[in-house]
Amino acid sequence: MNENFKISPSEIDKIKLLNQKDKNFRLENLKLFNQQGFPTRNQEDWKFSDINQIFSKNFKNLESFKNGIKTKSINFIKEFDHNHILMVNGKLESSEFTFEDKNKIKIKSYTESNFSINNEENSLINLNNALSNNGLFLEVADNYRFEKVIIIYNVFTDDLKNNLLNNKNKIIIGKNSELHIIEYNINQSKNKFIYNTIENVILNEKASLKTINLQANQNDGFFYKYSKGKMKSNSNYSSFIFSSGPKFNKIDAEFDLEGDNCDCSIKSALFINKDKHQEIKTKINHLVPNCKSYQKIKSVVDAEGKGVYQGKIYVKDIAQKTNAYQLSKALLLSENSEFNSKPELEIYADDVKCSHGSTSGSVDENSIHYLMTRGLTKKQAVQLLVSGFLNEIIGDIKSNSVRKFIENKIGVQIHGY
Amino acid sequence: MLVIKNLKASINNREILKGLNLKINPGEVHAIMGPNGSGKSTLANVLSGKNGYKISGEVKYLGESLNDIPVEERAQKGIFLAFQYPLEIPGVNTNNFLKTSLNTIKKAKGEKEIDTIAFLELVKEKAKELGIDEKILSRQLNVGFSGGEKKKNEILQMKILDPNLIILDETDSGLDIDALKIISDGVNSSRSEKKSFLVITHYQRLLEYIKPDHVHVLSDGKIIKSGTSELALELEKKGYKKLN
Ligand SMILES: Nc1ncnc2c1ncn2[C@@H]1O[C@H](COP(=O)(O)OP(=O)(O)OP(=O)(O)O)[C@@H](O)[C@H]1O
Ligand SMILES: [Mg+2]
Repeated sequence: MNENFKISPSEIDKIKLLNQKDKNFRLENLKLFNQQGFPTRNQEDWKFSDINQIFSKNFKNLESFKNGIKTKSINFIKEFDHNHILMVNGKLESSEFTFEDKNKIKIKSYTESNFSINNEENSLINLNNALSNNGLFLEVADNYRFEKVIIIYNVFTDDLKNNLLNNKNKIIIGKNSELHIIEYNINQSKNKFIYNTIENVILNEKASLKTINLQANQNDGFFYKYSKGKMKSNSNYSSFIFSSGPKFNKIDAEFDLEGDNCDCSIKSALFINKDKHQEIKTKINHLVPNCKSYQKIKSVVDAEGKGVYQGKIYVKDIAQKTNAYQLSKALLLSENSEFNSKPELEIYADDVKCSHGSTSGSVDENSIHYLMTRGLTKKQAVQLLVSGFLNEIIGDIKSNSVRKFIENKIGVQIHGY
Repeated sequence: MLVIKNLKASINNREILKGLNLKINPGEVHAIMGPNGSGKSTLANVLSGKNGYKISGEVKYLGESLNDIPVEERAQKGIFLAFQYPLEIPGVNTNNFLKTSLNTIKKAKGEKEIDTIAFLELVKEKAKELGIDEKILSRQLNVGFSGGEKKKNEILQMKILDPNLIILDETDSGLDIDALKIISDGVNSSRSEKKSFLVITHYQRLLEYIKPDHVHVLSDGKIIKSGTSELALELEKKGYKKLN
């Protein structure tokens, strides 16, 4: 490993520690990280995204914390009413729940160690466990349905440079409650930095959480997000991932379906241009009978871009009547674009309905010709086909105003390529 | 309008057009008939500027050689091809595509672009004329359209884009009698001094609705016979074999 990436245990003293148990947990995790370094392609989970090599190429040294942060003013979304939470470099700055009953919402800065999320095989999680000192804790009480969506403005300030930010978020949705979140990443930095985040989502009985994660500006940020979800019976999770622009983005989602009749859906539309690298990795664990899971990942890769999808569906022996679906489709715009996919099924129950598939190909020349006979330039034709390809995912957003907003944000990326 | 001299076209080392000559004056309607595989669609493709053909000879449109003009510029200059098999293009909204197309062509002509409201009015009017259910226009381009709806959609595009040289490749195939009449009316109402049509068809019936000034027979990559609409009647009776 690059010696510059070794982190001294004295770094941990910079964190306001809670207690000795916390400190030991952090030291232990730091030791694990220092032993392994950043993950390499020799690890199955990082086979197509050698983050060690990528970081070595892009960073000489890394500074773990960032103090004295100033935010440039940000434009709040005006297209539709919403509550908001402002996060700056992973730290909770402010929140406003104009449309809600505030007694039903618990929100605070999340600084605790989360002893339950541990993974010996993923050194980024060790690193996060060792150093994360910021984050969002959000809990919705039982029987409360949000009136309006929450937008989490996730701002990265322009003074970030060679920083390594670690953050942890925890979201708990009470029984029979419902929440919609849009996580809107705004990157003001023109420089390279790493954002390593762990998200812990807990959905209690009959809870429903719908999230949209949006990255839509060209930037030099390197993002890794590990999202761990636990779903109780009759709960419903739906996630959309729209990402275009960051230099590197890997979203690693692992959901445990622990109660019967729950429904877990992950849909993604990626537009990967220039030399950007993005990966979606999903692992859905069907641990009980009668649950449903669905993943549809659509990726467009241009120029020297690289896209990856690794998806695994695990069905435990007792998880009969599981209904699991997984599909990855990629569109390659250039001879130099690359897409790798690894769909996997691991099924131990016999009465299940599982399907998976993966396709990748280039844009249909006949379609381009057809559009060009109507006066469109090649570029316009390709852009129209690319939008069409990704619109299949965007079109599934139910709210008209949100869908238009996302369509527009992604459209700007496609038309600017 | 269009002058074709000794046009040869081959693809995958196979010569398909083998020295074709044709002259179409402004305002004229020419029909091309000919056996399956004789090269009719190839001619239409070559005129539209489709890539992949090796071409020799000369094609002049409005006095200008088309040899080095790419597909989209031909369209912008007013050449329109209604496809024999209109493509299904998933994800692309029909209205959105039509508007992009119209505005690109307008821009190329130096005209002012049309706004969404005016565009929707225009589409509504033209769709009504052609008996097209407006609802299909908010669907994905040709996806799940019936055969007839696809053909009508081609004519709708012709009406909206307002081209000068219109090539209809078997637009009549697969249409019911009513649709055939509507489409023919659509074509006839577009006829003018400035527009010329090249109508490819297998059926004399279409030529009863759209009266051609000239009828040509294309066989094995060449025009082997030309005449008036009488020729179409004769072909209907005798078939192509007896021609030579
Ligand atoms: N890409 C290609 N490679 C090889 N041969 C081709 C190719 N495209 C067309 N051909 C051949 O060229 C010949 C002419 O085809 P074309 O589609 O122009 O016929 P057509 O007159 O339109 O027939 P139809 O009446 O059946 O529509 C056919 O024999 C066809 O198989
Ligand atoms: Mg044909």
